[in-house]
Amino acid sequence: MKIIACYSNKGGVGKTATSVNLAHALALAGKRTLLCDLDPQGASGFYYRVKPSKKLQHDAFFKDVDKFTKSIRGSDFELLDILPANMTYRDFDIFLSRMKNSRSRLKKALKAVKNEYDVVLLDCPPNISTLSESVFKSADHIVVPVIPTTLTERTYEQLLQFFDRHKLGKKKLIPFFSMVQRQKNLHTETMERMRKKYKKSFLKASVPFSTDVEKMGIHRAPVLDFARNRPAAKAYCAMWDELQQRI
Amino acid sequence: MMNQSSAQLFQVEQLSAIADLTNSLSKKLKKYQLVSMIDDQSQPIELFDCFDQSVRQARGLLYVSGKQLNLIGEHCGKRTQPVDSRPGFVADLNSGSVTAQLSCVSPLRSLLAVGKALHMHGVIKMLDNNDKTVARIVIDGFGAASNPQPLWLAYVTTQPIRGYHKAHLELLRALTESKLTQAVQSIDTAKIYQAVGIEDSGYDRKPTMRFGAEQDALSVANQIIRTYIDIARVNEPGIVADHDSEFLHDYRVSLRKVRSVISLFKGIYSEQHTQEYKLAFSEHMAPTGRLRDLDVYLLEKESYFQLIPESLHEGLHIMFGQFEQERQQQLLMLRKRFASTSYQQSLEALASHFIEQPDAQEGPLAHLAAKAYAQQLVWKRYRKVCNIARGIDANTPDDDVHELRIHCKKLRYLMEFFTPLFPQKRIKALIKTLKGLQDNLGLFNDYSVQQESLQAYLANHANKGRKQDLMIAQSVGALTSVLNQRQHQERAKVMANFAAFDSDLTRQEFRQLFKEKD
Repeated sequence: MKIIACYSNKGGVGKTATSVNLAHALALAGKRTLLCDLDPQGASGFYYRVKPSKKLQHDAFFKDVDKFTKSIRGSDFELLDILPANMTYRDFDIFLSRMKNSRSRLKKALKAVKNEYDVVLLDCPPNISTLSESVFKSADHIVVPVIPTTLTERTYEQLLQFFDRHKLGKKKLIPFFSMVQRQKNLHTETMERMRKKYKKSFLKASVPFSTDVEKMGIHRAPVLDFARNRPAAKAYCAMWDELQQRI
Repeated sequence: MMNQSSAQLFQVEQLSAIADLTNSLSKKLKKYQLVSMIDDQSQPIELFDCFDQSVRQARGLLYVSGKQLNLIGEHCGKRTQPVDSRPGFVADLNSGSVTAQLSCVSPLRSLLAVGKALHMHGVIKMLDNNDKTVARIVIDGFGAASNPQPLWLAYVTTQPIRGYHKAHLELLRALTESKLTQAVQSIDTAKIYQAVGIEDSGYDRKPTMRFGAEQDALSVANQIIRTYIDIARVNEPGIVADHDSEFLHDYRVSLRKVRSVISLFKGIYSEQHTQEYKLAFSEHMAPTGRLRDLDVYLLEKESYFQLIPESLHEGLHIMFGQFEQERQQQLLMLRKRFASTSYQQSLEALASHFIEQPDAQEGPLAHLAAKAYAQQLVWKRYRKVCNIARGIDANTPDDDVHELRIHCKKLRYLMEFFTPLFPQKRIKALIKTLKGLQDNLGLFNDYSVQQESLQAYLANHANKGRKQDLMIAQSVGALTSVLNQRQHQERAKVMANFAAFDSDLTRQEFRQLFKEKD
C-alpha cells in the first residue's frame, strides 16, 4: 500500500480538487483506493456525497482501529472508498501533541487498512503543523499543487526550507502546476522559471484553471464523471500516468 | 473491499416482475430514492460450451454479449471479461476472471456455440437524501431466443456498499417481503438452460450402462457395441468441421471399443461373423489412423522442440510444416469419406447386425449369463497378465513387454465393459490399480512407436538428398535418440510397477470378484 498525500501550506491552490480527481483516476486505473479526508472542512467527502463521520470523533482516528475502519464509506465508484472528515479534526494537533511518537501516529492508524487498498490518498489541511509533520513522515509521496504566481512560489520555497531544517527527504515532494491560466504572462513565465530552477521535480502534466472543477460542487462528483473529455479531466489522468512512473 | 453485510441472491420468474420491481421496492423503502437503470430491450447473447459440455456439467453458463465474455457459476457468481474474437480454445482467450474459472474445460477441447438466448441486464440504485448511492441491485435475466413470448428467469443480486450496512439490511428486508422476488441460496444454471431452451446433448464418451447379471451375454455385447457405434457417429460432424482433435479421438476410441468387444468376447458371435465384423470395423478405423497420428504430433509439437537443442530446430520446423500440409490432405479425404453414401450405408448396415441376430450369427456362449461370462473372461485375462509380467526381468526382450501392454489393455477394457455387473466401488478401485502399470506401458509403447514412425517419415519424405532433407535427418536423428532414452527409462520401471499392482490385496480382490461364485 502506497500513501500519497496531497498537500500545500497555502490554501486555495486546488488541493481538494486534486485529491478528489486523482483518487477517481486511480480507481479507474484499477487501483483499490482510499481517499482519506484530513481537512476538518470535509470538502472531499462533500464532493463524493458522503456525510461527515459521526463516530470517528476527536482522537479516535489515531486510537480506535475499529471506529476508523467502520467509518470508511464506499463511494459511488468502483474500487474507491472515502474516509470522511468532521469538525473535530481541527483539533488533530492537540491530540497528536498529547501522544507519544506523534509523528508516526498517522502511519500507525493507516496500517489498519494496508491489505485492503493499493493507494491511500490523504487530503491535507493547509498549514505546517504537527499533523502535517506526521503526514510528511507517513507519506511515500507528497503531491504539491503550485499556482504559478509569486505568492505560491514563495510558499513552495518555505516548504522546501522546512524540509531542509527538519532533515526530511525532499525526494518525496512531487510539485505540479495547478489552476494554470496560459493566457497570463505571469503564469507562463513563473512556470518556465520554476521548471528551470527545480529541474525535473515538477510533473510535466499541469492542471488548467477550469470551470469544470468549480462545477464539481454542483454535480457533487469528480470531473472525470461528468466532463470526461474536458481538459481538466484529461489533466488528472495524465498526472496519474506520470505519477505512476515516478512511484 | 470488506463489506459489513454480504450480497444476497433472489430469483424472479417473470419479465413483468423485473419491470415492476423498482416500483414495488420504492413503496417499501420510502426513505430512499430508487433509480432504475434496466435495459429497455433484451439483448441477444450466444452461449458457449465444448462438445462434452464441461461448462454445463461444472454448473456454469458461458455466454458472449456484445464484446463481453461472461461466466455465471453457482458459486462464483457472475464474472465478465472483454473478448475480441469468437471463443475457441481456452488457452487462446485473453487472461481474465472468466478464463481463470474455466479450468473445467480440457485444453484439447474447443468452445463452440451451443445456442442463442436473450439477456436483460439492469441495475437499481438506492440513494439517500444526499443522492449518494447506499446499495445496489444487479439484475441478470435470461429468456429463450426463439419463443415469441419467452419464459424468463432472472437473478437479482444485492450489492452492499461499505459503510452503509443499515441501508443494505433495509433493502434485504424489502426484497424478502416482496412477492416478486424469492430468496435463493445459489444460481441454478440448470434452470437458466431450461428457461432459454438449450437442452443437454447427453454426450458422454464413457456412458454408464445398465445390464443384469442374468442377462444373455449376447445382449450385453450388442448393447455395448450399439452404444459405442452411436458415440462414434455423433462425432462425425465435429471431425468434418475440424473444431478440435478430440472428435476424431473419441470416434476412434469408440470404434476401437466396438472392435474389442467383438474380438475379446469369445464365443458370442459365430467364428465366421466374428472375423467379418472385426475386419469391417478395422476397415472403418484405418482411414482415420494417419490423421490421428498427425494430430498427436501437432499437439505435442512444443514438447518435441523442447527435447532437442535449438541448433537442430530448423529441421523440425520443416517437418512440422509438412505435417500440417499432410493433415489438411488427410482431413479432406476423411470429409469426403464421411459424406459418401457408401460409408453411411456401410456403417448403418453394420450397426443393424447388433440389434437382433439371426441364430446363425450366434456363437456357442451367446446365451450364457452375463456375470458368469464376464468373470470367466476377466479372470483368464488377469491370469495371463500375471504370467507374462512375472516372467519379465531386466533382460526380457522388448517384444514381451509389448505383449504385456496389449494384455493389460485388454484386461482394462474387459473390466470397464463389465463394470455394471460388479460392485462399483470395488471394480473401479481395481481398474485404478491397473492404471499405474498401464500408463507406464503406454509411454513405453508411445516412445517406441514414435521412433518407428519418425524413421518411416525419414525414409519416405526426406530421402531426396536436398539440403532440407539433411536438416530434417539431423533433427529427427537427435529426436530419435532422446525418445530411445525415454523408452529405456520407462522399460526400467515396468517391474516395479507390476510389483506395485501385484499386491496381496489386489490378488485377493481379483479372486473374489472374478473367480468365486456368488
